[in-house]
Amino acid sequence: MPPRIPTSSASSSQALLLNQFSELVISPRLSASSSHHNGLITATANSTFQTHNNSQRQRSSLSKRQFSTTPPRQRLTRQRKQFWQWLETSGAVMRDATQPMNYVKAVGARDTSEDSRDMPFPLNPEFRSQSVLSDEAREIIWKSVVEEGQPIKVVSARYSVDMRRVAAVLRMKAIEKRWKAEGKPLAIPYAKAVQKMLPITQLGQVPHEPINDVHVHSYTMQQVFYPTSESREFTRGDAAKAFGKHIMPVDHKIRIPELINLEKQLAAGVDRNVAEEDFTKAALESEQKLKEREANRVRELEEAKTKVDTGRFEFRIENVNVEELVGRDGRSRKAVGWRYGVPFNDRKKGMVKIPTKVE
Amino acid sequence: MVVKMRLARFGRRNAPFYNIVVAHARTARNSRPLEVIGTYDPIPKKDTYDTSGKLHKDIKLDITRAKYWVGVGAQPTDVVWRLLSMVGILEPKYRQPGKPQPEYVPPPPAPATNTETTEPSS
Repeated sequence: MPPRIPTSSASSSQALLLNQFSELVISPRLSASSSHHNGLITATANSTFQTHNNSQRQRSSLSKRQFSTTPPRQRLTRQRKQFWQWLETSGAVMRDATQPMNYVKAVGARDTSEDSRDMPFPLNPEFRSQSVLSDEAREIIWKSVVEEGQPIKVVSARYSVDMRRVAAVLRMKAIEKRWKAEGKPLAIPYAKAVQKMLPITQLGQVPHEPINDVHVHSYTMQQVFYPTSESREFTRGDAAKAFGKHIMPVDHKIRIPELINLEKQLAAGVDRNVAEEDFTKAALESEQKLKEREANRVRELEEAKTKVDTGRFEFRIENVNVEELVGRDGRSRKAVGWRYGVPFNDRKKGMVKIPTKVE
Repeated sequence: MVVKMRLARFGRRNAPFYNIVVAHARTARNSRPLEVIGTYDPIPKKDTYDTSGKLHKDIKLDITRAKYWVGVGAQPTDVVWRLLSMVGILEPKYRQPGKPQPEYVPPPPAPATNTETTEPSS
């Protein structure tokens, strides 16, 4: 059924007038107010071809919304009034989206101090925006590691940026630089928009984040009554052993254990430059050791494989020992190959089906 | 009954994965075999950081057990024969003229000594 338009079956001069008028000023209110002519118009039902054609053209040019007969709600509710008041007083800053970290403040809150600056939700003081590294900071990190060849530990300690974040910055920078070289478009407007919403750290001003945080093992949360001799030195290592055999002392758990030596040297009155040099040396050594260990592991894995190149594919044959892996009942999870007699739940509801690696 | 060395197809639709098994010839393809001696993943893979586009296929094989079963008369199927010939257990059956033949490398020593006369534990 076509929408009921008062002008669709117009033959009277009044309806024609309306028709012309509604073409000039198309507003839902007008069509609503004209609806009470409906009875009069439909009573003179003979429509001429011309007006009918005219109305069809009009029908196609108007959207359905404009035929709504419901008047828009005009009543100014209290909340609406308060909203407009707020927008003219304390909320005036929200009109302008160019300011960085332009968060909504609590209604009636006079507190515009630095303390509440990083609260995006004004009533939740526990939720704070965590600061992100600026573009320049990320470039500095990239340069000092990749171009100057400094160990990640040193860069992390100098700028007080977590080692994992330093590593992440390096990976992201590598991708960014590759994309730039390939001429791929970067989502810079998006990055800018996000940066505008968050506090930004410039390197060298303030520490970006704590770098010595350690995971607190639940075993170390208990009180332990551990009798020991007064004459005996009781170190953090001993304390860790008292909590459990597998508990590591904090000195081993922190990400940059070389910092302990640095602090000890500084406390002993060694010159800061000398101590930092020693620290750099130790960090470099540990990094090289790690690299060697990883390279050895990969090399050993590769060497254990027989490689046969058939031209099209390379077959990599790994020699395994099935008897060791198959287990007592032949159902060990470590056994080679698809297991018999046990369900393989990879497609079951609730199992993660997202690939865990990309090749 | 003839003991064969053959492939048992596992995996999913369009994603085959094979166990290299030793089984009696008349048992069903995916029935529990005498022994699983390895796996064969026929889907070619790329190395993660390799940009040359060269593809490889991964095989796991207990070479000592394979030698044992060949020695006691198990009959490999053509496909398994081809795989075993790559590690030098058998002479290659088919040679394609005009194509480069794979170079046969002597197999690396097994990680642990297998007692070759014991019954398979699976």
